[in-house]
Amino acid sequence: MAVQASRNDLATAAIFVAIGGYFVLESLNYTLGTPLRMGPGFMPIALGSILILLGLVVAVGAFTHADPEEDRPFPWRGIALVLGTIIFFGATIRGLGFIPVVFLSALGTALASRENNPVSAVIIAVALTILCFVIFVLALGLQVRWFGPWLPF
Amino acid sequence: MTSLLPRVLLGAVAASALLAGTAFAQDYPTQPITVIVPFSAGGPTDTVARLVAQAMSADLGQQVLIQNVGGAGGTLGAGQAAAAANDGYTLLLHHIGMSTAPSLYADLPFDSIDDFEPIGLITTVPMTIVARADFEPETLEELIPYIQENGEAVIYGNAGIGAASQLCGLLLQEALGAKMTEVPYQGTGPAMTDLLGGQIDMMCDQTTNTTNQILAGEIKAYAVTTPERVESLPDIPTAIESGLDLDVGIWHGLYAPAGTDQAIIDRLSESLQLALADETVASRFAELGTAPAPAEDATPAALAETLASQIELWRGVFESAGVAAQ
Amino acid sequence: MDLFASLALGFSVALDPWNIFFCFIGVLLGTLVGVLPGIGPTATIAMLLPITFTLSPASALIMLAGIYYGAQYGGSTTAILINLPGESSAAVTAIDGYQMARQGRAGPALATAALGSFFAGSVSTLLLAYFAPPLARAALNFGPAEYFSLIVLGLLVSIALAHGSIIKALGMIVIGLLLGMVGQDIYTGQPRFTFGFRELFGGINFVSVAVGVFGIAEILRNLENEQTREVMVKKVKNLWLTKDDFKRIAAPVLRGTVLGALLGVLPGGGHILSSFASYSAEKRLSKNPQEFGKGAIEGVAGPESANNAAAQTSFIPLMTLGIPAHPVMALMVGAFILQGITPGPNVINDEPELFWGIIASMWVGNVLLVLLNLPLIGLWVKMLSIPYRILFPSIVLFACIGCYSINLNLFDIYAIAVFGLLGYLLIRFGCEPAPLLLGFVLGPLLEEHLRRAMIISRGDPTVFITRPISATLLALALAAVILALLPSIRKKRDEVFVEED
Repeated sequence: MAVQASRNDLATAAIFVAIGGYFVLESLNYTLGTPLRMGPGFMPIALGSILILLGLVVAVGAFTHADPEEDRPFPWRGIALVLGTIIFFGATIRGLGFIPVVFLSALGTALASRENNPVSAVIIAVALTILCFVIFVLALGLQVRWFGPWLPF
Repeated sequence: MTSLLPRVLLGAVAASALLAGTAFAQDYPTQPITVIVPFSAGGPTDTVARLVAQAMSADLGQQVLIQNVGGAGGTLGAGQAAAAANDGYTLLLHHIGMSTAPSLYADLPFDSIDDFEPIGLITTVPMTIVARADFEPETLEELIPYIQENGEAVIYGNAGIGAASQLCGLLLQEALGAKMTEVPYQGTGPAMTDLLGGQIDMMCDQTTNTTNQILAGEIKAYAVTTPERVESLPDIPTAIESGLDLDVGIWHGLYAPAGTDQAIIDRLSESLQLALADETVASRFAELGTAPAPAEDATPAALAETLASQIELWRGVFESAGVAAQ
Repeated sequence: MDLFASLALGFSVALDPWNIFFCFIGVLLGTLVGVLPGIGPTATIAMLLPITFTLSPASALIMLAGIYYGAQYGGSTTAILINLPGESSAAVTAIDGYQMARQGRAGPALATAALGSFFAGSVSTLLLAYFAPPLARAALNFGPAEYFSLIVLGLLVSIALAHGSIIKALGMIVIGLLLGMVGQDIYTGQPRFTFGFRELFGGINFVSVAVGVFGIAEILRNLENEQTREVMVKKVKNLWLTKDDFKRIAAPVLRGTVLGALLGVLPGGGHILSSFASYSAEKRLSKNPQEFGKGAIEGVAGPESANNAAAQTSFIPLMTLGIPAHPVMALMVGAFILQGITPGPNVINDEPELFWGIIASMWVGNVLLVLLNLPLIGLWVKMLSIPYRILFPSIVLFACIGCYSINLNLFDIYAIAVFGLLGYLLIRFGCEPAPLLLGFVLGPLLEEHLRRAMIISRGDPTVFITRPISATLLALALAAVILALLPSIRKKRDEVFVEED
C-alpha cells in the first residue's frame, strides 16, 4: 500500500547495523573460547549479530509505512556548541583550570540557544561560574586547580 | 593526542619546579599535599591511605588530601602521579600492583622504578587461604594433597587479573605444582558471596576481607601467607609452619614523582614513620588484620628494594603461568 | 533478643538528638547533592566520606546511610524535573515523571515519589529488622546460573519500558548490552573496544551514558525549534495529589514495595532490576497501558517505591554477611572499616546498638526525608519557571563537572558528548533511551554470570534448567515473551500506523 518508506526507520536500521557491525568485526580479534571457558569475543559476537538482525528487521518494516509529516529542523548550532563545549571542557579542564574552563564552557553552551544574545550569555556564564565554584570547589571539596598550569600565573 | 599537550606543559612545569625545589625545601610543606590513590574510595587501599594521611597531616601541619583516581588496575592513577609536578605536593600511594603492572600491561604510561622516588613501605597486608565451610579438607596438611589430587575439580575464586586474590592464587598453585579452575569476579565482594553460598570452593584473600567471616565460622581458614601469624587470627597457622613454601602479602608504598627534592623525600619519610608509630593507626591496622611497617621499612631504601625484587618475582610468576601483558 | 527489644534498643540510638541531627544532615546533603545532575549517590558518598571521620561510628554510619537514600531521592527529583537520571533506577522514573512535569504535573509526580518512597522505606525497614538473617541466607542460594536467568527475565520483561516499537526497544537493549562490554574483560584481562585507550579499561561510566542519552539528548531536542515549540512546562496545575491520584497509586506502591524489597536482598544485581521490574509489572497490570510513557502516575509510583524498598533491603547482605551488593554498599564497607568496624556476620551480635540503631535510623531518615521534601516540592516546581536558556547551560555544566569529579577521568566527559549525540539521533528516529540504559547496567552482569556458570558447571549448559530456581526464572521469562508477543501479533496491522504517534 505505502510506496514511501519511513526514513526514521531506515536511519535507525543503519545505526543498529553500524553498531552491531563494529562490535562483531572488532570481536573477531578476540578469542571465541569454548563453551566451558568462553572467550572475550563470544558475547559481543552473539549480541552484535542479534543487533544486525534487528536492524534488518527494522529496515524491512520501514517500507510498510511513511513518516508522519512534521517539521523538525536539525539543531546544527545546538549540536555544535553543546557537544563542542563538552569536549572543550574535557580537553582543557586540567590545563586551564576550573574557573576559566567553567566560564568559557558556560558561555559556549549558553550561545547554543538563539534566545541568548552575547550579553545575556556572558551574564549567565559569570553567574554559573560562581555557582559551580561555590557548590563543587567550596562545598564538595572537588580537587581541581582554580587556574591551570597553561596559564602564566 | 588530547593528552600530549598537557603532558608537555606539565613536563615544563615540573622542570621549573625542579630548579626552584631546593630553595623551598626547608619550608616544606607550605600548602596541602595530595596523595593519589589509584583505586576507588572505600576500598582497602583507600582505607589504608586515609588512615595514614590523617596521621601525616598532624605531623606535617598541612592537610594531606586523598584523591581517588581509579581504573585500569591502578595504572591510570599511577600514570597521573608520574606526570605530576615533582614539588612534593602530589604523591602516590599504591600497593603490590606497582610491581605487577609492568608484567600485566603493555605500553604503560610510566615506569615503576624510573618515574618515582620511593618514600617508604606502609604496611603489608597478610592473605588468608580460605574455603567454603563444608569443604572436605580440614587443615592445610589435608588441603595440599587434596588439591594435588583433584586439580581442576577444585574451583577457586579471585577478583580478576592483577588483584591480590589472583596473585596469591598464582603463587599457591606454583607452590603446590597443581592447577585449579580459576573463576574471576568483579571484585572480592561478589567472590566472597559465592564462597559463602558454596558456589565455589576456595579463595585466597586479604585479611581485610576475610577476618570477620573466619571468626564467625562462616568460612574455613587454612593458613595465613605471611611468615608470622596474624594478631587478629591467632589460631590460624602460617603456610610455612604447615610446610608450604608460600610468602605473599599485599605491600603498600608511598611514592613521589621522580626528581623530587631529596630533602622533601626525607621529610615525608620521617613523617610516614611517625604516622605509622601512631597508636590510632596501629589499632585500626590491627582491626584490618595487618600491622604498620616498622620504622626501618618505612624508608626510601627499603621500598626501593622491595619494589625491585617484587617486579622480578612477578615477571617470573606471570611468565610461568602464561599470563600475557595487555 | 526479641524483635521489640531490639527495635527499642535501635530507636534509643536513632532518637538520640545528636543522631537525629546527623541523620537530618545526611538526608539533607544527600537530597541536595542528589538533585545536582550528573552526581549519583556513589559520587556523593565518596565525596562526603571524609566528613564522617570525626564522628562516632553510629552517627557516621547513620549520616552516610542518610546521604545514600537522600541522594537516591534527590536523583528522582532531577529525573522528574529535567529528565536527568543520576542512576539506573531513576531512569525509569524519568520516563513518566518527566512527561508529567511537561504536562504541568511535576507537583503530583514529586509528591508521589515522596509518598511511595516513604511507604516502601517504612515497610522494608520492618522487613530488614525481622527477616534480615534468613533473607540473607536465602539469597545465598542464588549462584551464577540463577543470576543469569534472573537477568534474562529482567531484560525480557523490560521490553515493556518502551511504548513504541518492540523491535526498536530490543535493539536499544542490545546496544546497551554491547556498550556494557567495553573495557577490560575480567576473565582474561583482554581490553575490548577501547581503541587502545587505557582510560576505557574500566568501561564506560554509567553516569556519562545516562546524562548523555537522557539529559543532553533532551537538550538537543529542545533546541530543534526553540521559537515555535514550547520547551518547558505548561502551566503548573496543582502541587498535591488529587483523590483520584491517591486511588491510582495505592496498588502500584504496594506491589512496588514487595517487589523491590525482595529483589534488593539479592547481592548480585537484584536491586538494579527492581524499578525496571516494577514498571513492567504496572504497565502489564494497568487497564490503560497506552498511558505509560506519556505521564502515567503509576509509572512513577511503582518504580519509586520498588527502588526505595530495594535500597533499604540491599543493606541486608551488607549488615548480615558483610558483602556489599553494589558500589554504594562497597563504599559503606569502607566507612565501616574506617570507623573500626568490619561489617560481617558478627556485627549483629557484637554491636547490637549499632546494627539496630542504623536500622531504626532508616525509618527516622525516611520520616525526615518526607518532612523535608514535601515542602520543597513547591520550590522545585518553581525552578521549572527558570527560562530554559538559563537552565540548560547549567545542566550541561553540572553534568560535566559531576562526571569528572567521580574519577577525574577525562573520558567520562567525552563520553557525555558521544552518547548525547547517539542518544539524540536514536530518539529522533523513534527509539527510546530507557531500555538502552537497562541493557548497559545489565550487560556486564549477564556476560559475567553466564561465563561463570559455565565454568563452574564444567561446560554443561543444562545447569540453567536443572537448578530449580534458575529453571523457574527461565520459565517465567518464556511466559513473559509469549504474553508480550500474543497481543502484538494480533495487533500488528493496526500498530504499524499508530506506533509513530
